[in-house]
Amino acid sequence: MTPLSASPFWKLELRGVSKTFRSSHGNYHALKGLDVSAAPGEFVCLLGPSGCGKTTALNIIAGLEQADEGAVLIDGRPVGGPGPDRGLIFQEAALFPWLNVRDNVAFGLAAQGMPHRERMRLADSHLEMVHLQEFAAASVYQLSGGMKQRVALARALALNPQVLLMDEPFAALDAQTREALHLELQSLWAATRKTIVFVTHNVREALVLGDRVLLLSARPGHVKREFRCELPRPRPMESHTLVDLAQTVMEDLRSEVLAAQEEARRERRSS
Amino acid sequence: MSGARRRLLFFAGLLVLWEVLVRLQLWPDYVIPSPLAVARALVDGFVSGVLPRAILISLRRVALGYGVSLLIGLPLGLLLGRTRLLQDTLGTLVLGLQALPSICWLPLALLWFGLSETAIGFVVVMGAVLSITLSTADGVRNTPPLYLRAARTMGARGWRLYAGVILPSALPAILSGMKLGWSFAWRSLMAAELIYITTGLGQVLTLGRELNDMTRVLSVMLVIIAIGLLTDYAVFRPAEQRVRQRWGLQGVA
Repeated sequence: MTPLSASPFWKLELRGVSKTFRSSHGNYHALKGLDVSAAPGEFVCLLGPSGCGKTTALNIIAGLEQADEGAVLIDGRPVGGPGPDRGLIFQEAALFPWLNVRDNVAFGLAAQGMPHRERMRLADSHLEMVHLQEFAAASVYQLSGGMKQRVALARALALNPQVLLMDEPFAALDAQTREALHLELQSLWAATRKTIVFVTHNVREALVLGDRVLLLSARPGHVKREFRCELPRPRPMESHTLVDLAQTVMEDLRSEVLAAQEEARRERRSS
Repeated sequence: MSGARRRLLFFAGLLVLWEVLVRLQLWPDYVIPSPLAVARALVDGFVSGVLPRAILISLRRVALGYGVSLLIGLPLGLLLGRTRLLQDTLGTLVLGLQALPSICWLPLALLWFGLSETAIGFVVVMGAVLSITLSTADGVRNTPPLYLRAARTMGARGWRLYAGVILPSALPAILSGMKLGWSFAWRSLMAAELIYITTGLGQVLTLGRELNDMTRVLSVMLVIIAIGLLTDYAVFRPAEQRVRQRWGLQGVA
């Protein structure tokens, strides 16, 4: 194993992360030599075709899966298993139906051993941040899809994580709701200054949200290109600069999608 | 029409049909007695104290046997659901034993425990414990992986993961296992009381047959059905209702 020199400039660093899933059907190379870094308070988007290993990368950062090679560092220190310093938000809100909204937000705080009163107070203040304070006592099924994701955001932020990981959190929502949540996420980010790694396959979404957009290659995933997006915020979806930039990124992405399909076809033939 | 009214009308219709069949005198009344005669036997049974005594004895037995089944079945199910090794070994055994009607344990129980309450209790437990165990294990095993992943990223581990996520997520399955277990316990007890004569509802039923008293036989059968239905309505329905409501599984009525 190579010695890890701490580079405290980065909040989060992935160095040469590789991951292969082995099964009886053969090996599945999800990631190969993935390097990602995010400065404190930076909003980084991982963009790539489906099946390029984006989710695997997030799971490895979250500690839900182990990398075969490489390292994940937070503030220069390697991370082990899952922990509350890295909040993960899924495509589905993953709220617990047996708890009401407030108790859902307080769940992680309870796991940290925080006393009841304090965690109720924190849960309420985080529900206020996502403008859902009047739903504190509601059941989960009473919420719409967008509201559920806002609760999931409040739940993750309540733990005050070092890094917020988001795995296509708005992909299942309708366009209007998604746009509203983009604005809400940006204002939350501006208010909390969290480091965010946001995974998406949607080019526009990546450019609206990210300071930097890392384009991942087809499987095995690694960073193919990097785009800076320094447009002033909040960024309207239809601004000309954004549309132009999206055009460029889209063309790069398209070639990766084709490569991914070719790869899948080759695998099917060989198996 | 409300559910209660629909039910009432249905059973009233059934009674009328019964009475009509009796009036037609197609069969002698020791084969099919009139509803009124059965009702009289029912009242007699309660007034003479035979039925209340038998009901109490049977209820005490089933409560005891069911309680023991819960004490064994729930923890065992929780263990089976989470431990691959136990699932493959003990789980397979439990599954196999479930193919055996619980009354088949009676000869063994009599040889082990003699003509005793323990023998009857054993049969009741063997009837209820397996389905409670299997449903609980199923519920635990089917905890959505997404819930587990979410909980783990929030730092929940060990006991808290178990009590805070796995158990509540398995609750609907556990509840239906408990309900199933209850009806198995009740049936096993009745079978055991029928075969191995002691006090209890089953004995009153056998006695009815020996006295060629069809009204008594039917009245006891009605009591057995009523007790089964009542527990379902008083205990399990409300509990299931609450879970369904909280989980949002309720249809918009």
